[in-house]
Amino acid sequence: MRPLLNNTRAIRHIRSYTYKTEPSKYPGHVPTNCLQKLFLAAGSGIYSFFNPRRGDLIATLGEATALPPLMYRLRDVMLSDPTGRRILRERPRITSKTLDIAALRKYPANTVGKVYSEWLDLEGVSPDTRAPVRYIDDAECAYVMQRYRECHDFYHAITGLPIIIEGEIALKMFEFANTLIPMTGIGAVLAPLRLKPKQRERLRTIYFPWAIKNGATAKPLINVYWEEVLDRDVQELRDELGIEKPPDLRQLRKLKISHL
Amino acid sequence: MGSTTGRKFSDIQSDVYDVVIVGGGVSGLTLAAALKASPYTSALKVALIEGMSLAPATKWDPSPDQLSNRVSSITPASQAFLQKIGVWDYVYPERVRQYDDMRVWDGVSGARIQFDSFQLDAAGAPMAYMTENLNLQQALLESLAEAPGDNQVKIFDSTKVEQITNSTDQLDDVDLSSWPAVKLSNGSTLRARLLIGADGVNSPVRSYAGIESRGWDYGQHGLVATLTMEWDDRQDIAWQRFLPTGPIALLPMPGGKASLVWSTTPKLAAHLKSLDPKAFCTLVNAAFRLELADLNYLYTRSDPEEIEAEFEWRDGMLPMEDEGAKFPVRVVEVQENTRASFPLRMRHCDSYVAPRVALVGDAAHTTHPLAGQGLNLGQGDVASLMSVIERAVVRGADIGDEVVLQEYWAERYPANHVMLGVVDKLQKLYCTDSKPVVALRSAGLEVVASMDWIKKLIMKQATGI
Ligand SMILES: Cc1cc2nc3c(=O)[nH]c(=O)nc-3n(C[C@H](O)[C@H](O)[C@H](O)COP(=O)(O)OP(=O)(O)OC[C@H]3O[C@@H](n4cnc5c(N)ncnc54)[C@H](O)[C@@H]3O)c2cc1C
Repeated sequence: MRPLLNNTRAIRHIRSYTYKTEPSKYPGHVPTNCLQKLFLAAGSGIYSFFNPRRGDLIATLGEATALPPLMYRLRDVMLSDPTGRRILRERPRITSKTLDIAALRKYPANTVGKVYSEWLDLEGVSPDTRAPVRYIDDAECAYVMQRYRECHDFYHAITGLPIIIEGEIALKMFEFANTLIPMTGIGAVLAPLRLKPKQRERLRTIYFPWAIKNGATAKPLINVYWEEVLDRDVQELRDELGIEKPPDLRQLRKLKISHL
Repeated sequence: MGSTTGRKFSDIQSDVYDVVIVGGGVSGLTLAAALKASPYTSALKVALIEGMSLAPATKWDPSPDQLSNRVSSITPASQAFLQKIGVWDYVYPERVRQYDDMRVWDGVSGARIQFDSFQLDAAGAPMAYMTENLNLQQALLESLAEAPGDNQVKIFDSTKVEQITNSTDQLDDVDLSSWPAVKLSNGSTLRARLLIGADGVNSPVRSYAGIESRGWDYGQHGLVATLTMEWDDRQDIAWQRFLPTGPIALLPMPGGKASLVWSTTPKLAAHLKSLDPKAFCTLVNAAFRLELADLNYLYTRSDPEEIEAEFEWRDGMLPMEDEGAKFPVRVVEVQENTRASFPLRMRHCDSYVAPRVALVGDAAHTTHPLAGQGLNLGQGDVASLMSVIERAVVRGADIGDEVVLQEYWAERYPANHVMLGVVDKLQKLYCTDSKPVVALRSAGLEVVASMDWIKKLIMKQATGI
């Protein structure tokens, strides 16, 4: 006897999802099937765990683990908000060409633009250090991922978390609670394994509670049109988004050191 | 013979009837027409009371560009019955549109099912006939008017039933004390050997008979409207998408029109009714074509231009190949004054009969319109009750005898109960966007969609044949 389900469309559907690769959907798109994504995720995951500075690998891991339902969820968060919709419609990009960093440096103190430029200078990064999205199969979701990535430096600026590993991890947790992008959660859970016990303790007792609480209760940061709020006061924007500034990590470290 | 008894009463007292039907909706009129069409019952003395004027139906002059918003899908079984009692011939055929293809999908997951009579080896057989309730009512009234003069159903329209009591009269040798006495707003009182409650969901006849009606309100309103499509889609397809707020259905009507039944929250129904007509059409299009997130966003907007622009942007991103296969042709216009909404509920009576009383149609049961069955269940009731009355007349039994009427209840209750139950479960299953429920129902739907024999079974139930 033939198995009852052998012929059903449901099964065919699952098969095609697992093995079939779709045609390219946007410039730079590398179509991959489920199995290929699994390999990508495993490879980039293991490698980046030992080389956490390899941004390209972390980006690949982020895309390979971006489960479609979660990406659609984040896109829907944008579709539910007037500004989010405008961003999806206009698809702005943040690069050193679209943002005049030199001009931002001349902004008044405590404006979003000024703090952001200070942040870039302090950490020696530029908007162009972000890799383009390649492995996400839906064009709009790919843009959402791109947008998240390009806005990441603004998240640093608005939270005031430093780019050193602990700040990065705390921000990842904040981002996970705020966006549910799997990669941010993976980063927040796995990266502390490489930290010293004292650093881990600080993350666990001070920063994760802050990150989870603020990430979950703040308005979705993906809906901020950063290009349009550059001249706003940082604290005002923070209040509007519902973010409390975290305790300053570096000062806390100095404080601890002076206490020893 | 029962008819002799009937004549006897009519000779003696003018307000004593064999059958008094309360309610001139489709169910009541169909019963009246069926009684007059059957050689066994045509001589019975019948009265029909309707609270509203029936003039809009008798004087109905269908103009091609105006379509009433009260429209029903008539199943082949109901159509066959109307044909049998000679009513279908009076239906304006140009105001009827058949469909033979039905596309239903899950608004959350996108899982789809298609019922296509060609695919299901019933090529060309219609699944249903769409027509205005008015078209049926006028056909029923027309056929009633054809009966011989002395044998006509006495129709009291614009006349309300004010009170129903037990008669205390004695008429010759017949004891009328168990007969219902129906007091009308025109002052007269009719006595009925058999009183029919075809008086809708708030049935006064049911209250008189002390029959308990159970059920619940769906907390949804059914918004209806008459729409004009961008062009007349030659495919005859009925479309239905299940949104978490309730299903939205678009049913083809003649001349490139369509009838909308949008079940949704009372708040949204009120908003949709008050919306600018153009924007309303855009929202209907969005409800069939766009993602839920888009739709939920558009619900919060009221500027027509903004709604239009947002819709065009998202609609432009849909794949070309889905046109005409996954969604209906676009709606371009809503006919003025056709947006109306009704609270949706489920009700089922414990019994349809009491001594000298029988309930038919919405008086006995009310269902959610998602399966387009409400009116058809009433037609089924009438067909069943008719055969019970015919048999009683042939046997010379009293048609008001509860034992006789029990047969009707025994036949109809289980069938209606199953249909009401299935519709109720479907409504509950689809009015959620809970992830596990959506996953399960979508997997289930895909399995059903891939098995023709199940689809045939479902079609059989839904068409009543
Ligand atoms: C939005 C919507 C869409 C629907 N779509 C469909 C569909 O596609 N297919 C389908 O089969 N069904 C559909 N239905 C259901 C269908 O319309 C009803 O089931 C059907 O009309 C019931 O007919 P009826 O004659 O039993 O009751 P009604 O049409 O309610 O008739 C009852 C009559 O009794 C009269 N009456 C009440 N009280 C008194 C009184 N005291 N004195 C005198 N007269 C009185 C009323 O005036 C009324 O005319 C839909 C229903 C809704 C709400």
